[in-house]
Amino acid sequence: MIQVKNLVRTFKSGDRTIKPVNDVSFELEQGTLASIVGKSGSGKSTLLSLLGALDKPTSGDVVVNGVSLASMPDGKLTEYRRRDIGFVFQQFNLIPNLSAVDNVMLPMEFAGVRKSVRLARAKELLEQVQLDPEKHVRRINRLSGGEQQRVAIARALANEPKLILADEPTGNLDEQTGEHIIELLSSLSRDHNTTILVVTHDRQLANKTDRRFRLQQGRLTEEPARARVAAAATA
Amino acid sequence: MSVLARSIGNAFRNKVRTGAVVAVLAVAIGLALSMLVANQAVAAKVAELNASVGTVLTVNPAGGQGFEGGGEPLTAEQAATAATVPNVTSVVGTKALRLRNATETAAQAAAQSAAGTQAGGTQGTGPGGGQGGPGGQNTTTLTTSLTAAVDAGTLGGRNQAAEGTTGSTGATQPVRSLPITATGIGAEVDSTGKALSITEGSGLGDYSAESTNALLGTTLAEKNGLKVGSTFTINDKTYTVAGLFDAGTTFGNNALYVTLPSAQTLAALPGELSTMIVTVDTLENVDSTKTAVQAALGTDKADVTQGQNLETAVSSLDSVKNISFIAFVAALGTAGLIILLIMVMLVRERRREIGVLKAIGAPNRTIGLQFVLEALVLVALGSVVGAAVASFASGGIASALISSNTSTTTAATTGRGMPGGAAGFPGGGAGFPGGGAGFPGGQNGPFGGASQLLTTVTASASPGVIAAGIAAVFGVAIIGALVPALLTARIRPIEVLRGE
Repeated sequence: MIQVKNLVRTFKSGDRTIKPVNDVSFELEQGTLASIVGKSGSGKSTLLSLLGALDKPTSGDVVVNGVSLASMPDGKLTEYRRRDIGFVFQQFNLIPNLSAVDNVMLPMEFAGVRKSVRLARAKELLEQVQLDPEKHVRRINRLSGGEQQRVAIARALANEPKLILADEPTGNLDEQTGEHIIELLSSLSRDHNTTILVVTHDRQLANKTDRRFRLQQGRLTEEPARARVAAAATA
Repeated sequence: MSVLARSIGNAFRNKVRTGAVVAVLAVAIGLALSMLVANQAVAAKVAELNASVGTVLTVNPAGGQGFEGGGEPLTAEQAATAATVPNVTSVVGTKALRLRNATETAAQAAAQSAAGTQAGGTQGTGPGGGQGGPGGQNTTTLTTSLTAAVDAGTLGGRNQAAEGTTGSTGATQPVRSLPITATGIGAEVDSTGKALSITEGSGLGDYSAESTNALLGTTLAEKNGLKVGSTFTINDKTYTVAGLFDAGTTFGNNALYVTLPSAQTLAALPGELSTMIVTVDTLENVDSTKTAVQAALGTDKADVTQGQNLETAVSSLDSVKNISFIAFVAALGTAGLIILLIMVMLVRERRREIGVLKAIGAPNRTIGLQFVLEALVLVALGSVVGAAVASFASGGIASALISSNTSTTTAATTGRGMPGGAAGFPGGGAGFPGGGAGFPGGQNGPFGGASQLLTTVTASASPGVIAAGIAAVFGVAIIGALVPALLTARIRPIEVLRGE
């Protein structure tokens, strides 16, 4: 379970103070598939960074399964990112001189997984995201944007994290592959009890999530999910 | 993919840059290794010199030098006094004798008698007696069945002619061979303190007792058709060849050694020494011990000298050693600095990648190790090329260093050594004008080749030295790479990912 308590993140820009995340609080049960929508620059990625322990809040706290991230030392935060978090970055952030399979194996290497095990799992994950097997050993800089996005998603799933934070995971994918990725994330949430928080402009993806949040000028509001709205209307 | 494999892959990410970095590193490492090779070669030479004659002092009678001068002979009591001086590890006495072929001596005596003249010896021992010259007291001339292995030649002839102007008149001097140097020794060393190089047979055993055994120079033995076990006579006393030695020079091999008591008995001068070889424990103590020995023996009784030319040579080699060591350290430091700067550049260039690795859970130590290994891959490549450079260049660099640092010394020392076959005894002269310390080669003989010592330093790139140098390069490279590796720990993932 993730509890976000009065989270604030401010930046100084000259004389001005910017608050991309302003007193945000919410809770997510384990296994929830949630989305955050909002305009560009509304603070979506900053909030994701705070939840993923990439950044430290100015005030407030994130509590994961009863453990406060604010009180964790850097070493423990690294371990938390390695063990509990899977990131899908908007710009993929893959290592360019490594192959697709090597990129997917990296988080497992850091987690101390044996080479044979991580190689088998990396191939399995790349197949799940529908990357052509012959491209598994191809260098990242020789893959298309959509292929790189699928490798990035596979990498996020490598250590079977409890929380996946995805920034525009279907942004560079064609409709069919996007559909498949949405289905993959849904099944992970449903079958593996993985909490998934997706930042997206994709209405189709947002509508398929259990909970939908809107971030506007740093403040988070929850929108009723379309499914729930429909269910309430029929009741 | 392991950290090492990733580091190797990263090292070749930009092949042009890698090539340039390896080339620059190879120059620095090659220079460092060359300097280390030169340093080790010179250090080995200095150690060799110090171990042999570098710590030896020679004590001669005061006023006596070669066959000039005079003074009182040294005694066994003085040797005992010298042995009590601090830092003296051994004192070896010697007694020099001059041997002439008995048949030739008899013929010359007959010729002298016929001419009605006597050469300048006050004791009238005949031509070449040498005991009656001004100040002469130390070198005793005896007869032997041996024939000298060195011909008088032009130099011997000149000396003979020179002696003739003062010692002989009228009659034409017969052609003579040079005298043979016989030295009584108190230990198995030559008259300069160097261990005898026995090529056949054995030594004389107890050098403090009388014996009828002798060691012959190789050319002297060959000239007389002698081998180990053969016999010959000195003053009608039969001696057996116990062994043959090689002194390394023509003059040095026209000599023989007997035990010190044997020589003193032959000369009928028991307890008298021609010279003393004093060995000091370390080179650092040579100067102070020289002063102390001189004070203990008295300046009016003995002259204590050191191989000045060798000292100068060692000093020059020491300066080459120091220069090469400083250059080695400087080149090593340069290699480390190159690594430091390259790795700092790479860390700055890959900040985003480092941030990503941290974001997906890479510990700081793994990222730091990756950069250190990448640096070591570059250093390994540089070392391979550098070692190849050093193996070709080290000899030339060492020679250039030695020649540039010792040219003055070499010029100063050249010409002090006497030519082989004529050093020490002037050769063949009748009526020597004095005794003194009659060593083969005199004082300058063994040290006259100081310039040669400098040029005989062989700088070869041995695997051990190269390995030690490369280990030092790797040590410096690790230090150089650690700084940028530690910088990676300060990179916070959000700082580099915020650009999104």
